[in-house]
Amino acid sequence: MIYYLLLPFVTIGLVVLQATLADIFFSGWLTLELSLVVVIYAGFRLELMQGMILALMTGFVFDSVSGSFLGLFTLIYLNIFLLSFFVSLRIASEKLYLVALFSLICSLIESFMLILLYRYIFEFDMMSNVLMVFVPQALLVGVLSAGFFHAMRKAEGLMYGKTIQSQQRTGTGGISAKA
Amino acid sequence: MFFKNYRTVILVGAVIVAALVLLSYSLKRDSGESVVKNLALEAAAPVQKIFSAAIKGVDNAWERYVHLVGLVEENRNLKNKIAGLQTDLILYKEGYQEAQRLQKLLSLQEEHQYEFIAARVIGREQAALSKTIWIDKGSASGLKPGMPVLAPPGLVGRLTDVSWHSSKVLLLIDENSNADVLVQRTRVQGIVRGAGSRGCVVRYVSKMEDVKEGDLIVTSGLSNIFPKGLLVGRVSHVGHMDVGLFLQIRVVPFVDFTTLEEVMVLAADQRNISQKKKPAK
Repeated sequence: MIYYLLLPFVTIGLVVLQATLADIFFSGWLTLELSLVVVIYAGFRLELMQGMILALMTGFVFDSVSGSFLGLFTLIYLNIFLLSFFVSLRIASEKLYLVALFSLICSLIESFMLILLYRYIFEFDMMSNVLMVFVPQALLVGVLSAGFFHAMRKAEGLMYGKTIQSQQRTGTGGISAKA
Repeated sequence: MFFKNYRTVILVGAVIVAALVLLSYSLKRDSGESVVKNLALEAAAPVQKIFSAAIKGVDNAWERYVHLVGLVEENRNLKNKIAGLQTDLILYKEGYQEAQRLQKLLSLQEEHQYEFIAARVIGREQAALSKTIWIDKGSASGLKPGMPVLAPPGLVGRLTDVSWHSSKVLLLIDENSNADVLVQRTRVQGIVRGAGSRGCVVRYVSKMEDVKEGDLIVTSGLSNIFPKGLLVGRVSHVGHMDVGLFLQIRVVPFVDFTTLEEVMVLAADQRNISQKKKPAK
């Protein structure tokens, strides 16, 4: 219950923080998508209902703060969460390079969805931003996610003595993390 | 039974549909006003303020750090600049002081209406037995032995040896130096003589005369060497000995002989100038 009570505040804090940091480091050139990394992390760690609510909330707050149309990032984050949730059955989060690669792909998917939505809804071509914005942003998300997953694993170890990934999602169904 | 088996799929589908409906609704009502959006923005504003304040603090600290890093180089450059400026300042100060001194020399010329020849001190001889200075003008400039030498505010001495381009000035404090003087207040006459480091003494003033400490001593003009009225010094001590007829008068010269850099040689006084201007018919 505490999770659901704290979630709005945490997501607001997260989205505002990433907007502020992006403004400082990239001066509006790139978006520092910590929120996307958190959604991917939720896909690997949280239960379906918890994760979906987190993705919805994060996407909604991001829509509100970034000034885009309500539901745009809500829909994108929800899809990315679901993708992460199902991929987590195949990939173990201990393999950081896989996590980074998957996050990079998620970011590219997000960009692809944005391009498509803008192309067909607003008839606005965003292809010119692919090399200058979307690819560097995807690389940044990949690096950030590896760091974030590593840090969270350490934090989980300190708090619970072990990671909190559920038994069903250890990646043993596909690419194994175990040597 | 169906709903129980496909509960997850139905839930996911419902959420996706809800997101799509939200997007469609938002696109359809492109008014920019939405209660939920406004609520989210209202909640985000204080958080934004807190983050902005915190990051501004960090940013300021970082800027200060960067400033400190550049400070060493800047400090070095500034030190070099200060050294250059100090050199310039010394030069300017030197020029200013020289201008001040020359101005005083010029004022001396204007006060006395004499014909002066300015000269620069090029050496000094301050031995126990001899108090002289060398100047950079000689007979080529019209100087002759015996000419009085002045510096603001008074008498310096007289020329003794004159070569073509330099001359020797016997200072007033040399023990071989003598000049006819008088006490300005009482017009009592005497002869001032050099006393080395003690300054000068005035001799041959009777014990009956009125001379006090602080009286001004000026040249009397009797010897035809020094014109009348040139400042010599101030009485610092008056001694009445039991034996002897004369007072013991010590005089502190007005001129500081240790700091002389430029002097004026009195080439001709007003009378001679007038005579030069009006040739004899």
